[in-house]
Amino acid sequence: MIFFKKYIQIAKTSWANGFVYRLNFVMWRIRNVIQLLTIYFLWFAVSSNQDKIFSYTQASILTYVLGSSIIRAMVLSSRSIDAQGEIASGDLSNHLVKPINYFIYWASRDMSDKLLNILFAIFEITLLIVVIRPPIQFQTNLALIALFAGSVVLAAILFFIFSFIISMTTFWYYEYNGWAQRYLSFVILEALAGGLFPLDILPPTFAKIAIVLPTAYFIYFPMQIYLGRINPTQIVVGYAVMLFWIVALYYFGQMLWKKGLKVYGAYGR
Amino acid sequence: MRKYLFVWLKSASLSAQSNLQQKGGALMFIAGKFIRFGFFLLLLILIGERVSRISGYTLNQMITFFLFFNFFDIFGQAFFRGLYYFRQQVISGEFDFRLAKPMNPLFQVLTRHTDILDIPLFIIIMVALVKQAVGMPLQTLGILIVLTAAGMVIVTAIHVFIAGLGVITTEVDHTMMIYRDLSSMARVPTDIYAPSIRAFLTFIIPIGIAYTIPAKAFLGILSSSLIIYSIFASAVFFTTSLLFWRYALTKYSSASS
Repeated sequence: MIFFKKYIQIAKTSWANGFVYRLNFVMWRIRNVIQLLTIYFLWFAVSSNQDKIFSYTQASILTYVLGSSIIRAMVLSSRSIDAQGEIASGDLSNHLVKPINYFIYWASRDMSDKLLNILFAIFEITLLIVVIRPPIQFQTNLALIALFAGSVVLAAILFFIFSFIISMTTFWYYEYNGWAQRYLSFVILEALAGGLFPLDILPPTFAKIAIVLPTAYFIYFPMQIYLGRINPTQIVVGYAVMLFWIVALYYFGQMLWKKGLKVYGAYGR
Repeated sequence: MRKYLFVWLKSASLSAQSNLQQKGGALMFIAGKFIRFGFFLLLLILIGERVSRISGYTLNQMITFFLFFNFFDIFGQAFFRGLYYFRQQVISGEFDFRLAKPMNPLFQVLTRHTDILDIPLFIIIMVALVKQAVGMPLQTLGILIVLTAAGMVIVTAIHVFIAGLGVITTEVDHTMMIYRDLSSMARVPTDIYAPSIRAFLTFIIPIGIAYTIPAKAFLGILSSSLIIYSIFASAVFFTTSLLFWRYALTKYSSASS
């Protein structure tokens, strides 16, 4: 219990920190709403006067767009991207001498950040639903809702590990404080996570490749479960692939961390 | 004028050297810009294969809007990148030195850094647009040039407003990113949005005028009233932005110097 106490305190501090920079946070959320509106209205225009577009009805594609905005808040919101800056600036040294686990430290901060973002995302989506009254597909199958929730939790874990690996590349490549590789990962995530469009609209060969990549499990896979577009076998296979990526990337990340610490020079300190 | 051109060329050359110093990072940024451009283009093409018209526009027309969006977006990012460093100058008091120099401080703020990493995609978009414009009637071409200039004036004015806000509130980065997000709404014709959003993008922050009216002129689907409105709006918006900048300077407290 004492072990967790310090991390709970870190999460609490991070939560309070979010309210210190209120304007920053509100502006960040405004940006999310603007991005959502852009994609929402594009898909609304595309699906208007169509029975189906790419096998999606208007209700299902718009539910996909709105749902992926909430999943973004749960999965992709993260404070741990700041780890790359600490590695590049040498501030990592401050953590290495403290009796805390660096990964759990950032995981704790991520948890509070996600909670804050989820609360705002739910409020925003509710507001949008009330104002623009989009056709929405509500899932009533409890088993699918449970599987959807489970996939979101696993997606958050997978993204945390994935994001940490990107941060750890800064040990070797610290130009622009690691922002070059982070930017590239953001750009790739924007499309291959399924936030811009569902991956199954890609040509079949590309879709098959995209669906086995870890990025597909951040947004696309949970939303496919929620919409009931994949059968039980595909859900089991999806979960298996997701668990494989979590384990594989975890061990890869551990290896990078150990090797990274050996080359870490605390530049800038 | 020659003095300003000389200073801009010098600072642009230094920015380029600074960018190219970190070759790997520069390559990743350039690759990212191309990938992002490619993914959205792919989305438009995939949709265009299934739907003949989106809000009345064909696939080719949608792509033209997207190209014009990129033209104006990159214009702002490449040439006014200096604004991204402005907050630090205000909160550290370094801006005092800009004010003391015998050169317009606004010019220094906006053009302090020119982002050469945006130039490769900018050139490709220019080539794609020029290629399509070949054979266009002279009158349409003339109108297109005037409206493109008006669009560039509006983009400049928005950056001036953000600089002014930066002086008053010391907040630049998020305002800049909100502008970037709002402008990304013009990746597609603003006609697809709800009337209230369309009105906001036309009359409050005239992104719709800057980004989509030149595209409409290019496609030959623009009414003459909109041409006049666009020129008028750009003149008013630019003048207002300069007045706002002057007002903002009176609020500069030089607090940290």
